[in-house]
This record gives sequence, structure tokens and C-alpha cells, in this order.
Amino acid sequence: MAREQMNPIIEKILLNIEKVMIGKRNVAELSLIALLAEGHVLLEDVPGVGKTMMVRALAKSVNANFRRIQFTPDLLPSDVTGISIYNPKEMEFQFRPGPLMGNIILADEINRTSPKTQSALLEGMEEASVTIDGVTHRLQKPFFVMATQNPIEYEGTYPLPEAQLDRFLLKMKMGYPEVDEEIEVLNRAQKVPPIEDLHPVIDLEGLIALQKEIKEVYVDPTIKRYIVDIVNLTRKFAGVYLGASPRGSIALMKTAQAYAFMYGRDYILPDDIQYLAPFVLSHRIILKSEAKFEGISAEEIVTRIIARIPVPIQRLVK
Amino acid sequence: MKRDFQSFLLYLFGFLLLWEWLRPVEQLTETDHIEMFVIFILLSFLLAFLRMKWIWQTIVKLWFIFFSLNMFHYEEGFFQVTWLTFFTNDLPANFKMIIARNWLGMTNEFRTFLLFILLWLMVYLVHYWLLNRKRLFIFFFMTLIYITVLDTFTLYSAKTAIVRTVVVGFAVMGMLTYYRILAKENVISDSFTIRKWMRPLVFMIAFSVITGIIAPKFAPIWPDPVPYLKAASKNDREDGPGNGIAKVGYGTDDSRLGGPFIGDDSIVFRSEAVEKNYWKVETKDHYTGKGWIPSESTPFRIGGEDVIPIFPIPSNVETRVESASLFMFMDYNHLIYPAGIQRVQFQRNYMLEIDSTKEKISILNNTDSSPVAPDSYSMEYKVPKYHAADLRETTAADPEQIDAEFVARYTQLPDNLPGRVRELAESITEKESNWFDKAKAVERHFGGSGFTYSQSDVAIPGENDDYVDQFLFETKIGYCDNFSTSMAVLLRSIGIPTRWVKGYTGGEFLEYSEDDSSKQIYEVTNNNAHSWVEVYFPNQGWVPFEPTKGFTNTISIDYTNDDGTTPATEATAQPTPKPQQDVEKNSSSSQKKDQTFSFNGFWISAKVFLDKNWKWIVIFVLVVIGTIGLIYRLRGKWIPRLYLFQFRMRKKDENIGKAYLILLDQLERYGLKRNQGQTLRNYARYIDTFFATREMSKLTDRYEQYLYHQKLPEGSWKDSRELWENLIKKTIA
Repeated sequence: MAREQMNPIIEKILLNIEKVMIGKRNVAELSLIALLAEGHVLLEDVPGVGKTMMVRALAKSVNANFRRIQFTPDLLPSDVTGISIYNPKEMEFQFRPGPLMGNIILADEINRTSPKTQSALLEGMEEASVTIDGVTHRLQKPFFVMATQNPIEYEGTYPLPEAQLDRFLLKMKMGYPEVDEEIEVLNRAQKVPPIEDLHPVIDLEGLIALQKEIKEVYVDPTIKRYIVDIVNLTRKFAGVYLGASPRGSIALMKTAQAYAFMYGRDYILPDDIQYLAPFVLSHRIILKSEAKFEGISAEEIVTRIIARIPVPIQRLVK
Repeated sequence: MKRDFQSFLLYLFGFLLLWEWLRPVEQLTETDHIEMFVIFILLSFLLAFLRMKWIWQTIVKLWFIFFSLNMFHYEEGFFQVTWLTFFTNDLPANFKMIIARNWLGMTNEFRTFLLFILLWLMVYLVHYWLLNRKRLFIFFFMTLIYITVLDTFTLYSAKTAIVRTVVVGFAVMGMLTYYRILAKENVISDSFTIRKWMRPLVFMIAFSVITGIIAPKFAPIWPDPVPYLKAASKNDREDGPGNGIAKVGYGTDDSRLGGPFIGDDSIVFRSEAVEKNYWKVETKDHYTGKGWIPSESTPFRIGGEDVIPIFPIPSNVETRVESASLFMFMDYNHLIYPAGIQRVQFQRNYMLEIDSTKEKISILNNTDSSPVAPDSYSMEYKVPKYHAADLRETTAADPEQIDAEFVARYTQLPDNLPGRVRELAESITEKESNWFDKAKAVERHFGGSGFTYSQSDVAIPGENDDYVDQFLFETKIGYCDNFSTSMAVLLRSIGIPTRWVKGYTGGEFLEYSEDDSSKQIYEVTNNNAHSWVEVYFPNQGWVPFEPTKGFTNTISIDYTNDDGTTPATEATAQPTPKPQQDVEKNSSSSQKKDQTFSFNGFWISAKVFLDKNWKWIVIFVLVVIGTIGLIYRLRGKWIPRLYLFQFRMRKKDENIGKAYLILLDQLERYGLKRNQGQTLRNYARYIDTFFATREMSKLTDRYEQYLYHQKLPEGSWKDSRELWENLIKKTIA
């Protein structure tokens, strides 16, 4: 099939990221989708595979304010959101914004910190605002969090509660690079890190405009029905303890809109849904312990569900 | 198109089709020399086939036309120019007639000429359709319509014509389709492609025609539409020939009896008489097998007040004299009179002209002998009272009493009268010895349950049927003509002289007369038109009999015998039941009988048919099932062709919705299955890999826009259709 014509701006951003990131185009794409769909991303992977590099490159490409929070067990909520400090000169409390007051935030190893701090972050993600000492501070726009998480088997972690996982639009894994790619990584590592040379492709206004445009992408009733059918089946599927919520349906639609837009379409195809569903839905499903023991992953469940739901091939009869 | 065998065939078929138009003309109209017209169209087609220059063609044809004209209409030789000047001199007058639309005013020569010109035009048209347009359906269809209409409404039998036309028509259309496709697709025809096309064509036509011929044919479910059509169009045709529907009433032509008729209650006359009786108009003596015609006679005239010299009631019959007056509502110039008429009195002085054979009495003006229709007249007549004993005296035709010629005339029968009629007459009358009892036995025979009175379900005898034979043995449904003719013929077949009488029944009682309280006034309408039988007894004269079911004639016969075996006098019913009511009653009750009868008949014949042919039926059913199965099995091959054809006609972009789904179905039948969870795009890639194209992806892209976007680029159907057709063709290739 002829490769579709990508949206030129988005293609430029992706090319920009590829200058510093070798391979992993799909991760970059998905991150960008989350950014465009005004959602947040949970990256689940071991350290050192280039997560930070990618987010920084993304932030640089859209000329965004990049912040990084390294979560540790002793991190306090105020370390994330900011704090009001008494200023003796002015004789009043002054708000000192925390790292959350940026555009693109890398929340590294989010599962290492205490639930209290986690929830401070997640509140900000959900509400796009934080409340400190009774004063609500609006966060900047666009606001995009990319949280990373060490695989849960590691010791000394606080796994995110299910309700909070739901706040992430997408969850993905980065994985190790291919052999060729890793050699290329080594080649590049010999030089100065090229991240400093990256130039922004668009500014924040441009990004907001894109976000608005994406909301206009047409979603046919047949597609909506398809989304709902898929999400519905996660609730009934064998081996699933708790299925995806309606928020999952919304997430699937929004990401699909962004994905379609990325590929230069102003309407969604079932292909988009099929591609995105594992990333959007797998972290919203809680498996029964039997399924876990059988070694079935949530991604696999979603794949099976997709194979089960008939693709809409004709218009709905009204 | 060259002068090759194919175009020869085409012209031949064209000629055969056009010939079908001329065939009925010979039978249905008074056109003679039809073979010359056939030769003319043959000649015209031949000239067209030979591709002769048009000028020569015209000369040859004109020569042929004038030669024919000369042959048909003129006695001079062809090269004597006088006849041609006659013809040309008539031309202006003829053209005037055309403009005045006075079709009958044209001379015969000119009409012949016009027919030739018409045929010329038709030949040209057929030639044009065949070779230039390569389409002949309209002409073929018109031919079929023409033949079937003639078959329905006229005597023309299209049994073989329809088969010929279908064979020729389909053959020529099949050939033309082939040439059209050749021309359109720019294919060079070789003997292989011709064979590939023509063999199935011949096979299909042969198969369908043979199947059509040998397949059992049921009788039509619908009744003959003609009576309804005729009834709907209020086209009075009182004197119409036997075919088609007639309106009831008095008519003169009885040469073809049979067929249904509808009632007509227009009043003919009112009678003022002491009792109700039958009114005669005429009698007929010659039975043709289809109806009655009068034998030759010389009419003669008498004065208006003279004794009317028709066959009198012999003097040995007891009679009384009565008088009656008639008040006419319709203009008839013939006398309507009771049996035993003596004299007529008119208001004015008229002459009477008497046809002694028919006993039809016409009224003429005294001065110029022109026919007149008086408003009223009164008559004096004798009413006979027969004695059964006297009637029973006659046992055989005694040459001393009756003239042999007279017997021969009134026992005349057609040569081809089926033998079973006489056998039936003999078996009915075998117990009786004298003529009267034989006649009564025959009369009673019709009263039996086997016969049904009906005005609507009455058959017309076919070419080889005898009117009486058909009624007696096959239909047994009919009205007065059937009954009376049958009785007359039955009696004739055993040597008893009879004649067939036409006239009116007594009509309906209206009121008592104001002038003469002993008299009653009856009203007679066209519904009262009737026919009955008179039997000749040498000592008693013509005695009427009434075989028709539900009717009674008012003659009195005294059955008091010498030995007193039959004590009572049969007082003839007086007043008799109202005939019109009878007609209605009879027709409604007969309808019921009719239905059960025909249903039983159908059931029995179906059983017999099954018993005889069950093997064939089983084979036939198996073949049909097999064929249907095969057609279903091969649906992947022919259904797409239907769709190809169907979608070729369409224009709208939205057609892609339906077309794409058809393609999906077709691909699945082809064996390229799509999983339900597989997206169209994914599937399209799979199809394209399979067929090594990119068409499916392109088409799918369109369809996705249609389906998931509800938008389509304007005018995209043309491209889409092309992609779609290519893909469909790949699956049926």
C-alpha cells in the first residue's frame, strides 16, 4: 500500500526527533500523538534506553518548556507542584512554582515515589491545575507529562493505583534498540550530543492550533460504534477482572483522531483504532489472577478482542 | 457488412419475420395474390443483400409493382400503356381520398400500390435495423404483439406462427448481439469466435423451443379477455358473426353460432294479446355444421291485408282465432308474428314481401317498394290445440303424405356431421315408436342434468368442430341456439323433418289492457330474443318444441287418449315463468355447477396425466433441480455479470457503497476470505498482492472515504467503476 502522506509539520517534528533518537519511530509517533491529543504517556521500561532524550527532543521541536522530575521515595508533593514561601521583604507568602509548571514534563520513575506525591502529579495531569494552600494555580498550556516507570518486579516501588493509570492516555514500552541501531547509537555517542543543535519546528501556539484542528477530525458513527464495541468487550472478556471505562473509549477516539491527523486524513479508519487500541486500552484492564498465571498479558487480550470485533464495512442502517 | 453468409442469414431472418406480417392478411382480409407481395419482399431483401445500386433497386421494384398491379387489376397486357394512364388518372382522386380520410373510397389498384410501398418501407427499415443499428428487438416485439393480438381477436391461429417468430427473432437478435459486441470491442471475428458464440445460441434456442413445444400446456387461467373488452367498449354488433361476443337480440346472420353474449334490455315491442306466446320472425332450414343458413328462395309480394300464405296449420287441427297488437319500439321492417298468422292490419296501406323459405315477412311501402318500419300493427291468428293422439300417428315419412324433396330439405345435414350425433339420437329415441314421442324424448334429454344454460361460457366451434357435436358431447353449456340447433339436428339425424325458428319469447307481463280487459300487455326486450324448433308432422303441420332449459312454450296439447291412458290435459303453464328471470337464475346456478364440474374435470385429468407421465415428470423435476443447483453453483460466474451490467447504467458516486460490498462477496466466493476483524485496507493489500495489482487498494481508499468519512470526491464513480469492473472481471476470468 502506498504510504500515506503524513502531515508535513508532524513529519518535520518526527524527523527532528529522529536526529537524536535512533529507531523507535513508533514511540516518537505515539508520544507525539499523546501530546497532540492533550493526553499523557506512561513509558514502562528499564533505564537507559533513551526516554529522556526523546522527550527532550520532542520538547525542543515544539519549542516547549521542558522540565524533569526525578521521583524518589522522599520526594514531597510540594517538590513537584511548587510551594508558597514567606518573603520577609514583602511581608507575605510568595508562590514558587515547582517543576510541574512547565509544558513538557518528564516524570522519571514515577513508581519510586510515595502515593502522596504521585497523586499530586496525577491531579495536575487530570485537572490541568494544582491547588496549593487553597489557591488554585492553572498549569501552562500545552501540558504534557511523560511518566516512566520501572517494571513492577523491581524492589522498593509503589505501583500506581489502577484509577491513576487510567489518567494516562497511552502506555507503551520502549524496548532495546536493534543491533544496527545500537551501533549507530555508539557512533553518535562519540560526538557531542546533537540535542543542543535541534531547532524548533513550531512554537507553542502552533501546537495548540494543531490540537484544536485534531478535534475536528471526523469520526463516523460506524467508527464510534466500533470503538464502543471494542471497549465493551474488554468488560466481558474471559480473564478480565475489570474492563476499560468510558474514559477508555474517549481516549481511543482522541488518539485515533490524532493518529489520523498525523497521517494526513480528516477521518478515522478502523485501522487507526486497531493500531492504537493496545496502547490505549491495555493499562486500563485489570486481569484476573488466573490469566496472570497463564502468562496472558493485557496487550494480548486487547489484540484478541480486536480480532473478535467485526470491522464495520457498511454504513449503519438507521 | 459484406455479401457473406452471415448477412445472408440476417436478411433471411428479416424476410421471415416480415413474412409473418403478411400471413394473416390472406386469411383475415379479402386480399388475393398474397404470394406476389411475399415475392416482392423476398425480391427487396435479395436486392439489398446483393447491394445493388439504389437506382437499380428502385427500377426493379417499381417494375415489379406495376407488373403486379397490371396482373391483378387490368386485363390489358403489361405493355399496353392504356392501363397505366387509367392508374395515373385515378391518382389525384385517390390522394384526395387519403386527405379526406375516406379509406374505403380509394380504388383497389391504389390500395394495392400503397401496400407495396408500405412493404418497401418495411423492408428498408428492417434492412436498416439489421445492418446499421444491429438491433431488431422492437420489430421482433411488434411482430409478437401483432400475432398474439390477431390470435386473440380473430380467427387467425398463431400456434405455429408464434414458434416461427420466436425462433427467427431470437436467432437474429443473438446474431446481432454478437456483431454489436464485435464492433464495440474491436474484436476480429474468426471462425473460432463465431462457433463459440453461435453454438450455444443455436443450442439455447433449440432447447427452449423444444421444451416449449413438448412441455405440457395448461389451459389459460384467465378467461378469454375478448368478451370483457367487447363489453367494455359499448360497440354494438348485433349481427356479428359467431366469433367474439354478441349482444343478445334479433340478428339475421346465423351462419356461425356460438360464443358468449351479454344481455341487452332495450325494449323491442309491446304486445297486447289474450295470452303470452312466442313471436316468430323467421325460420331456417340448412344446417352447415357451424350454424344455419336459409336455402335459396324467391320472395313474392302480396297486399298488406291479404291472407298471409305461409305454411298453414292444417284444417284437421282444432284452432281458435285470436287477435293481437304490436307496438314497436325498434325499427324493424320485418313482421313479428305468432304462429298461425292469418292477416295483418296496418294503420296505412303497405305491401308485404314474403320469403317462403324463411317465412320472413317484410313490410314495404306501397308506392315505391322501399322497406318501412311501422310503429304498430295488429294481427289475426289461429291458436292450435293439438291432440297427442293425432301427433302420435306419424311413425315414418310416408311418401304419399310428404313430398320426398320436402323431407330431404328438412332432414338435410352436413356430410361431416360426426356419427355419434345420430347414435345419440337413436339411443334417446329407441324406446319410442312415433315421431312425436321421439321429439319429446329428445326435448326431455336436454332437460337432464348434463346440460347447463349459460350465456357467458359458451364455446365457439373451432375449424374442425361441429357446433352441435361440440355442445352435445363436449361443452354441454349453452343457450337457446345450442339447445334448439341440437334438437333439430338430432331429430333430422333420425329422419324427422325439423326447422329452426327465430323470434322472441313472450316477454314480461306489464299490465292489463285499458281498451280490452281480456287482453294483457307484455313487454318484449332484446333479452327475449330466442330460438326454438319446429317439427313437421304430415297431418298436423309444423309443431313447435322447446328444448332450451328453463323455457316453456305455450302450446296446448291434449293428451286425452282414445283408450284413456293419459287422463289429464296438460294445461300449459299460463302464465309461464318469466323468461328473463329464468335466464338469470339459470346462469347463476349454472355457474356453480360449472365450477364444480370443471374442478372435478381438472382433478381427474391431472390424475390421468400424472399416471401416464410420472416418469417424465420425475425426470423433468430432477433436471430442473439439477439445473437450478448448477446455476447456483456457478453463481460466482454469472451473478457478477449481471452486476457489471447493472452498474454500467449508473451514474451516482454513491454507487460505490453497493458495488464494493458486492465485490467483497464476490471475492469471498472466489476464495479470498476476509476475517471479520480484518480491516478493509489490510484486506485490500492482501487482494492486491494476490492479483498483483493496486486496484483494490485504490478502490478501498474510495470506499473508506465513502464509509468512514461520508464524503466522496465529485464524479469519482467513473474511475471507481473502472477499478471495480476490473476486479470483478478478475474474479470471473
